[in-house]
Amino acid sequence: MTDIAVVESNVSVYFIFQDVQKHSVHTLVFRSLKRTHDMFVADHAKPVSLDETRYSCFVKQYAVFVLPSTSISLRVCNCRLDASRTAAGVGDIHRNAGGAERSPAPHSHSLLEGGATKNSSLVARKNPTMPKPQWHAPWKLFRVISGHLGWVRSIAVEPGNQWFVTGAGDRTIKIWDLASGKLKLSLTGHISTVRGVAVSTRSPYLFSCGEDKQVKCWDLEYNKVIRHYHGHLSAVYDLDLHPTIDVLVTCSRDATARVWDIRSKANVHTLSGHTNTVATVRCQAAEPQIITGSHDSTIRLWDLIAGKTRATLTNHKKSVRALALHPRQYTLASGSADNIKQWTFPDGNFIQNLSGHNAIINAMAVNSDGVLVSGADNGTIHLWDWRTGYNFQRIHAAVQPGSLDSESGIFACMFDHSESRLITAEADKTIKVYKEDDTATEESHPINWKPEILKRKRF
Amino acid sequence: MSLTSFLPAPTQLSQDQLESEERARAQRSHSTALVSSRREPPPYGYRKSWVPRSLEDFGDGGAFPEIHVAQFPLEMGRKKKTSNALAVQVDAEGKIKYDAIARQGQGKDKVIFSKYTDLLPKEVLNDDAPELQKPDEEAVKELTEKTRDALMKQVSQKIAAAMPVRAADKQAPAQYIRYTPSQQGVAFNSGAKQRVIRMVEMQKDPMEPPRFKINKKIPRGPPSPPAPVMHSPSRKMTVKEQQEWKIPPCISNWKNAKGYTIPLDKRLAADGRGLQTVHINENFAKLAEALYIADRKAREAVEMRAQVEKKMAQKEKEKKEEKLRELAQMARDRRAGIKGHGGDKGGEDGEARERDEIRHDRRKERQHDRNISRAAPDKRSKLQRDQDRDVSELIALGQPNPRASSEAQYDQRLFNQSKGMDSGFAGGEDEMYNVYDQPFRRGSDMAQNIYRPTKSSDKDMYGDDLDTLMQSSKFVPDREFSGTDHGPRRDGPVQFEEDPFGLDKFLEEAKQHGGSKRPSTSRGSKDYDHDKKRRKE
Repeated sequence: MTDIAVVESNVSVYFIFQDVQKHSVHTLVFRSLKRTHDMFVADHAKPVSLDETRYSCFVKQYAVFVLPSTSISLRVCNCRLDASRTAAGVGDIHRNAGGAERSPAPHSHSLLEGGATKNSSLVARKNPTMPKPQWHAPWKLFRVISGHLGWVRSIAVEPGNQWFVTGAGDRTIKIWDLASGKLKLSLTGHISTVRGVAVSTRSPYLFSCGEDKQVKCWDLEYNKVIRHYHGHLSAVYDLDLHPTIDVLVTCSRDATARVWDIRSKANVHTLSGHTNTVATVRCQAAEPQIITGSHDSTIRLWDLIAGKTRATLTNHKKSVRALALHPRQYTLASGSADNIKQWTFPDGNFIQNLSGHNAIINAMAVNSDGVLVSGADNGTIHLWDWRTGYNFQRIHAAVQPGSLDSESGIFACMFDHSESRLITAEADKTIKVYKEDDTATEESHPINWKPEILKRKRF
Repeated sequence: MSLTSFLPAPTQLSQDQLESEERARAQRSHSTALVSSRREPPPYGYRKSWVPRSLEDFGDGGAFPEIHVAQFPLEMGRKKKTSNALAVQVDAEGKIKYDAIARQGQGKDKVIFSKYTDLLPKEVLNDDAPELQKPDEEAVKELTEKTRDALMKQVSQKIAAAMPVRAADKQAPAQYIRYTPSQQGVAFNSGAKQRVIRMVEMQKDPMEPPRFKINKKIPRGPPSPPAPVMHSPSRKMTVKEQQEWKIPPCISNWKNAKGYTIPLDKRLAADGRGLQTVHINENFAKLAEALYIADRKAREAVEMRAQVEKKMAQKEKEKKEEKLRELAQMARDRRAGIKGHGGDKGGEDGEARERDEIRHDRRKERQHDRNISRAAPDKRSKLQRDQDRDVSELIALGQPNPRASSEAQYDQRLFNQSKGMDSGFAGGEDEMYNVYDQPFRRGSDMAQNIYRPTKSSDKDMYGDDLDTLMQSSKFVPDREFSGTDHGPRRDGPVQFEEDPFGLDKFLEEAKQHGGSKRPSTSRGSKDYDHDKKRRKE
């Protein structure tokens, strides 16, 4: 205490001779203590050992100031000092979720008690821990396949990973060898742009849908159309096959999605509810079995048994043109011109936003490694780390020579089944194949992760 | 403190309860003879001035038709103010359920996101967090089976509708159900406590056509209630941004259906003319340059040639002149030779000699003039030439105005004025030309320029009384100016000089050849043009 008195007197004497702004005694004491501490005692590297009596009043003030920004981490520290670097588990989330509804005052009291007993945890307060994104190798272009005479609108890869199929604006469907990129077969039959293709895993069928309202089933043993699924009232924009049931789901500009029995061509369910074009549809084996994204900026999760909407997600502001289901996790990503959003299943709880790709996102694809690719209407590709939402790479491939610069846009992207090649269908009538750059390391391409902390810490 | 004391009395009593109440009342009436709290309406016939006002007045009956007053026994029949306000609901924790509005038409376990917390990003979870894991295989398989069955049923229904008639479906075997009714007593079910019911599916006639018409189009039912919107409203558009998206109206170069009149710059704007820079081939410039150079070279060549020719002509002329001079000299010498002998003797005197010289010069001049007038009568002297010139020619030649004197010249109208001050402007009349007071060159040639017809062959022009015209003295001044020089009078309205183009000859020939082709292109018309030209003074 003597030190303080001395310092105080010095300070006050000094202030008499100069006309400085007046502070309260409390402020002066606080600041002088702090300066003294910084000058003589502080070793910023190591945590300071405390004198409880001296710092008890400090703690009160400090805790209150610190509270709004670091409530969560403090609580974590309180529970376990050696908390894992990844964020707290479900319990904390629930506590946080309910936290705002309680008044802040009890928090400070609880903290104060905690502080009184475990001062070290408070002083050794770390910065709020953000999850570190996983490092992914950057992807580079390694092959450009040209041959189509119109925009390439859709891609599907065969289950055996030997070839892939593309549908284009020149009304043809072309089958290309995956390893060499050579054309194997061209199928004609559609009258208008082929918007969606899918290869069945359970039978040797290829399904295609087009802007001419036709949905065709091609038998790949004979390379002929064997079935038509009639019923859509307008252009069919996308289709997907159910992984376990022999059922095909198509979505169309008439604001419906239709569920077809493959063998009997019957329209089992008509999933209506959207008010604008349904741009994309995905099927999965677990609930919800059908997910659709529409131009009315909503995503609907459907119950296939009843043919009714299970949940409607209205978070997007602009049309949702792309959906991607994570292969291993029970999560979904949806892409729209404002944001890419991640959701959990089965209820569609919102996880986070991936913002930064400020363009109309036409296509998305996810890797098992957690690489999310979003391809946009202006030709840019952004690659994200799925878990944290870190955009680790942006690619804008040059257009094919002979094309205008404005003819760059991505309509579909897909990983092959080995997840080592990314195939994109582009507006300059080419198919571009990307692979990971093997020579890149974590040092050569460091992670430059600057998350917005405030966004997370706020409830 | 039994529960019944807290709860309000039941409004409707079941039969058992009624009987028990009757019994209780009977017992009470036996025990106490106090006034019963239940008010009975007066019996029929005694209700003359009685009006039921409260619910209890009705007893356990209904309204009284003979009492002409609006009655609402048990509050039945009142016009309820219908409002679609939802009753406030409270959830298990005691918090008000604000999303009851959003959940109005839906089942209570439908997933609806309506809270602010649903909008916020959650913590990033580890990959092996439990809520991110897919459901295990058995659950998925079970779901698949269930789905498949449901879908197959749907499909078969749809197909069966299209399939032709087959044999009657086998109905499921009869089901037996044991049923325990709630109303039990001796009267019901003849004393038995339970019943057994045999349930059989009704037989469907395989040949029966569909019972209901399904070709009628009816309007779609209302959609499911809209989901709450989980994003902030879209930002308001600023004026600047709205201006950016303005599309100018289309101005076609071909069609104009409404017949609008569009200014030319807008029409061209649609063409895109202002946008492109005009590229002129540089060969045009090269061509122009080449032409210019060629022109210059040609001119130089021509000039050189002309100069050479002039030199040649000059040399010729000089030669000729030399010859003439020699001849003249010879002649003079001969003449002088004759006279010279006589002249040499006298005239030693200086003055006499000077006088002689002057006389000699004068004589020479007179001879010269005589020679010229003999040799070239048309070649007039300078003075004569100037007198005959038109005023515009004199100005062009730069001949000085004979009137120009060094002293200041005043407008003669200023002098000797007797009119007043406001007489000068002449009322703003701008038809008259009164800048100058005197004509430009007042000379003696005015009188000369006037044409006086002579005895020429202009009969067709002037008629027969040419003589009278000639004799008229209108145009002759009464008193001539001193020093006027009667120059060569005009022979015709136009004084022709030499005929450079040989047109006269040509016209003479044309006249001789009958003049059938162009009779009118004779001298007459040519006269007219010239006349017009020369008349401009």
